[in-house]
Amino acid sequence: MTRFEELRQAIIDGKAPVAKELTDQMLKEGIRPAEFFPNAIIPAMDEVGRRMRECEFFIPEVLIAARAARASTDILRPLLVGDETVKSAGTVVCGTVKGDLHDIGKNIVAMMLESAGFQIIDLGVDVTPEKVVEAVQKHHANIVALSALLTTTMVNMKAVIEALTAAGLRDKVKVLVGGAPVTETWARSIGADGYGKDAPAAVDLARHVAA
Amino acid sequence: MMNSRERVRLALAHQEPDRIPLDLGATSVTGMHVDTVYRLRQALDLDGPGTPVKIIEPFQMLGEIKPDLRDALGIDTALLTGTGTAFGFKLEGWKEWKTFGGTPALVPAGFNTRTVPNGDLLLYPQGDLSASPSARMPRGGYYFDAIVRQEPLDENNLRIEDNLEEFGAITAEELEHYRHTAEELYTCTDKALVLSWGALSLGNIARVPGPSLINPKGIRDIEEWYISLSSRRDHIYKIFERQTEINLENLQRIYEVVGNRVTAAYLTGTDFGAQNGPFISPKTYRQLFQPFHKQVNDWVHRNTEWKCFIHSCGSVWALLEDFIAAGFDILNPVQCSAANMNPFDLKTKFGSRMTFWGGGVDTQHTLPFGSAKDVRNEVCERIRAFGPGGGFVLNAVHNIQALVPVENVLAMYEAAREYGTYPLRLGAAA
Repeated sequence: MTRFEELRQAIIDGKAPVAKELTDQMLKEGIRPAEFFPNAIIPAMDEVGRRMRECEFFIPEVLIAARAARASTDILRPLLVGDETVKSAGTVVCGTVKGDLHDIGKNIVAMMLESAGFQIIDLGVDVTPEKVVEAVQKHHANIVALSALLTTTMVNMKAVIEALTAAGLRDKVKVLVGGAPVTETWARSIGADGYGKDAPAAVDLARHVAA
Repeated sequence: MMNSRERVRLALAHQEPDRIPLDLGATSVTGMHVDTVYRLRQALDLDGPGTPVKIIEPFQMLGEIKPDLRDALGIDTALLTGTGTAFGFKLEGWKEWKTFGGTPALVPAGFNTRTVPNGDLLLYPQGDLSASPSARMPRGGYYFDAIVRQEPLDENNLRIEDNLEEFGAITAEELEHYRHTAEELYTCTDKALVLSWGALSLGNIARVPGPSLINPKGIRDIEEWYISLSSRRDHIYKIFERQTEINLENLQRIYEVVGNRVTAAYLTGTDFGAQNGPFISPKTYRQLFQPFHKQVNDWVHRNTEWKCFIHSCGSVWALLEDFIAAGFDILNPVQCSAANMNPFDLKTKFGSRMTFWGGGVDTQHTLPFGSAKDVRNEVCERIRAFGPGGGFVLNAVHNIQALVPVENVLAMYEAAREYGTYPLRLGAAA
């Protein structure tokens, strides 16, 4: 097994200490930080996404895999700053909408997007439309990813789109939405650019709109 | 004419009573938000304007379903629950309060809150304002979410006791409450009693953060809990093992005072399903949860006439055979909007072995956002799917939330009464 394959497997198996140790060792062995994403982290999380879709992985397995990926990316990210050979897949502002405090789904999406090479600005929960606008402006984001778990809060996704429009940013970002009560029909009705029914779908969507 | 108790009993025995029994308020997952209870009571002229409604379950802000409302809607069930709440204060000492929606309400004396600068509301465990808050309701919100208060975990010193602090022996005072309430409900009403005791669920995510505790220890972070189901399996198993011992002792004591006045026992509210599939693999369910569920259900079936009720939101098709093998008789809320939860398929495959308690109308779209006609049509479709052969107690999928139009609630129960008589006029499942 190559070193990259070892790291991929450690991430898929959710072994965060192993992923951390391997990352450290591989860096000492001279492997460039930029090589980790395409050769280990992205394929590992793509495999996690595949297993999630095939109902082989469930929430616990996805969370520990994402945690293992983060154990590696936390080491790599500071080393990638200023590396012009590394092109971010895009910058995503994400959050759970105003009035909603639920974040497990949003966190999984954020972790999988980060592992896929996106820069993530996670605004947390109970996020106002104004905060989204401010973050898009500050970080020059090209994607906004919104989550809602409640029928009473999903209406605030529309408020975010309206706020982006009012700020003159609507044509600069793609707005993706998801969450338990959200549907493709709902997403279209509020003018969102895409609907992700689960975390792997959100990653595919983000890659598609960022391309 | 058949009484409610007999109606529910026959349905649970997979026989067709005179009509499909109806529930509202018999559990904390078949209730209604206080805002909607208030508007419904006003619409039905049951109260003068401004008459407050008691919040009998402060986590989800459920309003009391009083006998007059039950009668107005034709409800066949009644709640038999304890005096406690998820936040560790009792349902007593009622004081006036108002929801963000402006609903006049009554809350327990221990329901003590503070408003933070952004307008959010914080709620305190055991009513203790000197403790760190254990729940938050966002400004303009409708119910509370638990605040995660997680101390750093020492992987080498995890103690099962730290996740068992809130589970203990039922008190004599509480048993007297159950005895007295069961006797009153059984003799003064004809409703089917549904027993609840808040501490029975294993790994209920709503309770994992320990909202009733002043200073929770152990694994209290929700993500950490889910991760533990995979990476700390032995530890979780031991927690469940001990909690089940406590549960069985308490159930025995409760049975001694309520006997078979109870028709069904709500034994677990842990959600195993998400929108698109189960939260955990069937293998994890079988290894971690099923042995203990079976232990409790076997005890109930050997010693009582109660039926065993499992609440699990979401897509649980993949787990239903395992729920049945664990001994559950009743599935709630029957979230047909989740993946692989087609009502006709559910009835065909599981209907002779599982009563569907819920499923009457979708609460993610139809009930809150549809027209009254949409609601009626959907209730008819669900009756067509779940009604034949009994094994169906109708209510909405989970609690009826705030903002649901009153006419939609009324349409649901009207359609259920009109089309739910046996033999069904709507015809068999498609």
